[in-house]
Amino acid sequence: MKITRAAVLALLAPAMALMIILYVIPLGLYFINSFRLFKDGRIIPIWTLQTYADYFTDPFSYKIIWESVRLSLIVTALALLIGYPVAYALHTRVRSAGARAVLALLLFSPLLVSVVVRTYGWFILLASQGLVNSTLRAAGLITEPLSLLFNSRGVVISLTHILLPFAIFPIYSVLGRLDLSLKEAAQDLGAGWWDTFQRITLPLTMPGVVAGTLICFTLALSAFVTPRLLGGGRVQVLPLMVYNNTVEINWPTGAVSGLTLLLLSMAAVWALNALLRKLPSV
Amino acid sequence: MANMTEPQARAQGAEVEVRGITKRFGPVVAVQTASFVIRGGEFFSLLGPSGCGKTTTLRIIGGFEHADEGDVSISGRVMGRTPPNRRETNMVFQRLALFPHYTVFDNVAFGLRMKRLPDAEVRRRVGEALDLVQMPGLAARKISELSGGQQQRVALARALVNRPPVLLLDEPLSSLDLKLRLQMQEELKRLQRELGTTFIYVTHDQGEALAMSDRVGVMEGGRLYQVGPPMEIYERPTTRFVASFIGDANLIDGLVEGLEDSTVVIRAGRMQVRARRQGWEQMGSRLTVCVRPERIRVDSPATRPDALRGRIEDRAFSGYVVKYRLAVDGLRLHVAVPYQSGTSLHQIGDDVAAYWDPQQAVVVAGE
Repeated sequence: MKITRAAVLALLAPAMALMIILYVIPLGLYFINSFRLFKDGRIIPIWTLQTYADYFTDPFSYKIIWESVRLSLIVTALALLIGYPVAYALHTRVRSAGARAVLALLLFSPLLVSVVVRTYGWFILLASQGLVNSTLRAAGLITEPLSLLFNSRGVVISLTHILLPFAIFPIYSVLGRLDLSLKEAAQDLGAGWWDTFQRITLPLTMPGVVAGTLICFTLALSAFVTPRLLGGGRVQVLPLMVYNNTVEINWPTGAVSGLTLLLLSMAAVWALNALLRKLPSV
Repeated sequence: MANMTEPQARAQGAEVEVRGITKRFGPVVAVQTASFVIRGGEFFSLLGPSGCGKTTTLRIIGGFEHADEGDVSISGRVMGRTPPNRRETNMVFQRLALFPHYTVFDNVAFGLRMKRLPDAEVRRRVGEALDLVQMPGLAARKISELSGGQQQRVALARALVNRPPVLLLDEPLSSLDLKLRLQMQEELKRLQRELGTTFIYVTHDQGEALAMSDRVGVMEGGRLYQVGPPMEIYERPTTRFVASFIGDANLIDGLVEGLEDSTVVIRAGRMQVRARRQGWEQMGSRLTVCVRPERIRVDSPATRPDALRGRIEDRAFSGYVVKYRLAVDGLRLHVAVPYQSGTSLHQIGDDVAAYWDPQQAVVVAGE
């Protein structure tokens, strides 16, 4: 059946309308504020680039940006380092489809819990008298409790946990598409497990790794609840700044922060997509 | 002719012995107590329909599967659970399994690099291997830039560059079109002769197996039914399946009605047919006569009053032969007559006499 241009537009229209009304227009209206000025507790309705100039000459802004990027990179790297072996094991060791489905559900189950509930759960685990510290102390590994709350450690631990499925599943799905005879061919030509993994499996599953990186990095960069609760005000990242500026009615600075966040995410998407295009497809 | 099919004894090709291997996948028996010996430097084919266990047998020899019972020896060494990377075999995979992220050069070099050979030697041997498969000058290409036939050659070079004593080939030509397939068959045969490597070739194409092999093993339903040179398998099939799978065959089921010095007389319905006697036949036993289409003669009924009477049902001209389909007493006989200019043809609907030299027909045990 041939689908006409009009039919395509008609099918797209509801989604497009929703996107425009609920996303593009509010975002645009908010970003218009970046060209206003915040002075003496109120927004002055003039057109100016002063807020941009102030924001990008303030060393504090760069500190926040760097902290956001740094945390996101650490979380992404950890999620991939933990997620790849999980995906690999799920693919190679779990034979029955039923067991795979159960394990996949288990891996995704943290996402079914409200972020607030989950975060308070981490409070209980990570506190000075919490399960982690008491276990380590009982095992004789530490004498003083590790400080895991109200700093970036707790935030990294919690974000890594919640982003893990987003690292595992793209890798798992690419592994599933990998032609098994490629591994056999490598083995046939004298490669042991490590050579086969490093020369064949890993390079050919890079599309999954890149996709996982993209999802983890952008989600970590825009995470709000976790840094706010577990960071206890000491972990300052871009989404928190946007929130703070906005509740202080400093919409111009909030808008500039928000745009910076958006541009960072878009830059990551662009760079990783460019990388993805260069990778061989399985 | 006989000399041409004799394997040339060469030092490099290793002997492979398969002793009573059985392999089950769950309730399915893929291979059942198969035993055979492949001589060093031999071109050996495992032939059978899909699902007959030939690929599983090959994969057991290569170390990709392990037999539940029985064992495989290569060059006299029992393999047990030796993994593929420690066997002196290399495999050409059915779907080729070329590494898509490597160039032609890196694909072919893979095995040599695993042996940690110096770069200069790797370059020299990859060059030689690409020359051998007639692919010089394409070393820098990506796999995706090659045609099917070229990919086939790279897969071959990637295996042969390691100079394996045994090369395993799993239906490597099945994805090629007919013309290219025939060309690659000749080339594989040439390579095998030049290198003296033992080739174990898995195929479902009986023409391919007959044309290329020194010996053929015919499998069905996990069992190995007959092993022998192509001509022997064609001339003296031992089972009904082998007779029907190798070449075209007219199979006539019947009961032994008479035993003579060199012929056996079989009653099949209202027909009486004769075939070469092998010695094991007994009066009244049920068996099957196998007559090849080219062994049957067709004439006008008047000249051969003692022959089978039939009617031409269909006729097909295919260049050097004319094929007839005859209805004889409720039975269908396929006949192939060599064609030259001036050969007079029978028409559809003609009544004819069909006959053959009993020595050209063979009996196999009935089923």
